[in-house]
Amino acid sequence: MTDPTVAEAWVADPLRRLMDDARLLSGVLLYPSGRAVGQFGFSNAADVMSICALTSAINASARELGRQLDGKPFYEMHHAGAERQVFMARCVAGGQELLFVGVFDRESSVGVVEIYFAEFQKAIEKLRPQSQGSGVGPTGDFEGELNRSLDALFGPLGKR
Amino acid sequence: MKFVSQVVAALSHLPGVVVAMVVGATDGLIVETSGIKGGGAAEEADPRKHTAALAAYLYSKATRAADAARLGTPAFMRLEAELGHICIVGARDVVLVTIVTPDANLGRVRLEMMNAARGSL
Repeated sequence: MTDPTVAEAWVADPLRRLMDDARLLSGVLLYPSGRAVGQFGFSNAADVMSICALTSAINASARELGRQLDGKPFYEMHHAGAERQVFMARCVAGGQELLFVGVFDRESSVGVVEIYFAEFQKAIEKLRPQSQGSGVGPTGDFEGELNRSLDALFGPLGKR
Repeated sequence: MKFVSQVVAALSHLPGVVVAMVVGATDGLIVETSGIKGGGAAEEADPRKHTAALAAYLYSKATRAADAARLGTPAFMRLEAELGHICIVGARDVVLVTIVTPDANLGRVRLEMMNAARGSL
């Protein structure tokens, strides 16, 4: 398992601990706008780009679905596939909301992932993201934000 | 589901059993749990969710170890700690988990847990 690559250094240690403790195969931490903060388990920027875009969209859909069905947003999602499972949830660092999506297999379980994610949430709660430029909501420049974060994680396009 | 509740209720009434739970074997999530006997301070974190997830995880690893050693499926697991024990018995898709005090009658706890597991939970 390789160490996480991060666009913002403050998240490196908690992300590594989450990866190790929860036995995650891969994962991405991102802002709801789609900008990636850190990742592990991926070697390809295109994969992270797709995951950021999909996670951002799923988060927005799940929130609205939750509001309509339950009167409050859904913040956590688990999908159990035949071989691999996906866990998606939100966390807050220094008042800034973040999303996490992680993949695991039979070496872990959703129960184990949940408890270590709760520890991760606590660990980053009081940390301050380095760049809070996007504020609470997205800036509207989804593609630009995504590309800038991928440059930070994998190097500029052409050098990836 | 009634049977699951009955098993949890029966196990939790055994002397020395602090908590009894039925937990999903693969997901580590609680199916049914008793309350925590003796309570504990209000500000103390509820240990059930963590114990359930990690006990199911531990049991799955022990199953693989027993399989690697060609010993078959583990019948009963007991983790002895400073302040008590965690007992785990597998029952198909679930595991029975109890947290017991150091002075509990472990023979009785073991017998009741294995009987419950045999009763096709």
